[in-house]
Amino acid sequence: MAAALEGARRIVSGLEQGRVTLAASVPDTWIGTLMAEVRRSSRIRALDVAREEEAVAAACGANLAGGRGAVLCQNAGLLNCGGVLAGLVELYRIPCFFIVSYRGNQRDPVYYHAPKGRVTEETLRAWRLPYAVADPRADLAAQVRSGIEFAMESRGPFVLLISGGDLA
Amino acid sequence: MTGRRAYLEALVSLLTPADVLVSCLGANARYLPHLAAPAPVFALCDSMGVAIPLALGIALTRPDRHVVALEGDGSLLMSPNVLATVAGAGPKNLTLLVWVNRHYESSGGQALPPAPVDWVALARACGIARVAAVTDANGLRAAYEEARAAPGPVCLILDVAYDPAEPVPPYSERPEEIRVKFRL
Repeated sequence: MAAALEGARRIVSGLEQGRVTLAASVPDTWIGTLMAEVRRSSRIRALDVAREEEAVAAACGANLAGGRGAVLCQNAGLLNCGGVLAGLVELYRIPCFFIVSYRGNQRDPVYYHAPKGRVTEETLRAWRLPYAVADPRADLAAQVRSGIEFAMESRGPFVLLISGGDLA
Repeated sequence: MTGRRAYLEALVSLLTPADVLVSCLGANARYLPHLAAPAPVFALCDSMGVAIPLALGIALTRPDRHVVALEGDGSLLMSPNVLATVAGAGPKNLTLLVWVNRHYESSGGQALPPAPVDWVALARACGIARVAAVTDANGLRAAYEEARAAPGPVCLILDVAYDPAEPVPPYSERPEEIRVKFRL
């Protein structure tokens, strides 16, 4: 197994401090790196799913059962999730914390991610999803913990957008 | 062919307080509050295709409870990938009941795409080893007892009669009320 990356370790530390028990994920390159660190945790169950809507529902199930669920996916996957966010998370008022790789933003060198990068934050605002873009100069674990607490207290979603550089 | 009432009454009679039931949206979710299930019930009223992953999250979080997911064939046809997810996660305490009536009944009874989906073969192909077809309420009782007795996940495919004239009660519980009542 590859050596742990400091940023990824801090994000997982934030998940642990936020008492997340289940992390459901569809990987991309960045999220796959982060999930490798999640799998090192003895306190978080890593759940590999085939589509992001499943991840949202599984995280909600964990929350309904007394645990804490989180969704780790790419922004393309988050864009798939409008229906389940409206019809499950918002309708039933279930906490749901997301860590989303922000592909196509100014920190992403890969050109073909640019179209989804252009629409990500506008879509989040249109869907009225509370979100933050991770600040690599600040404490990543604290940002994760803060997002989890926001989701729990508001009984709704919260999205933390991260970049690959945050994992290093 | 067996209709809804016989299947749901059989299912409710099999549940114990140690069980948990997650129901897909539509007529089953509307009926269940009237059947006094002895187990916690989380009934969906909008989101298609999430009953099974929601139940999976509950099952993984509470391995001490037996969790039942009741999902419609229309919803599962929208998201059959979840069968592979369940097989990969391998929860021993999860039973899937797939309600095969070949119609989107909650949206007016439109037929599913006219393809002869073999649900038993599909579930097996996705990696779920314990799969059985059920054609009546007695078959459900026998298969459910077997499912509960041995490690899962188990998938039971229920062949259900569709009755377009069946009276279906309206939703009687609000979503937030369902969530608040759902205590494990």
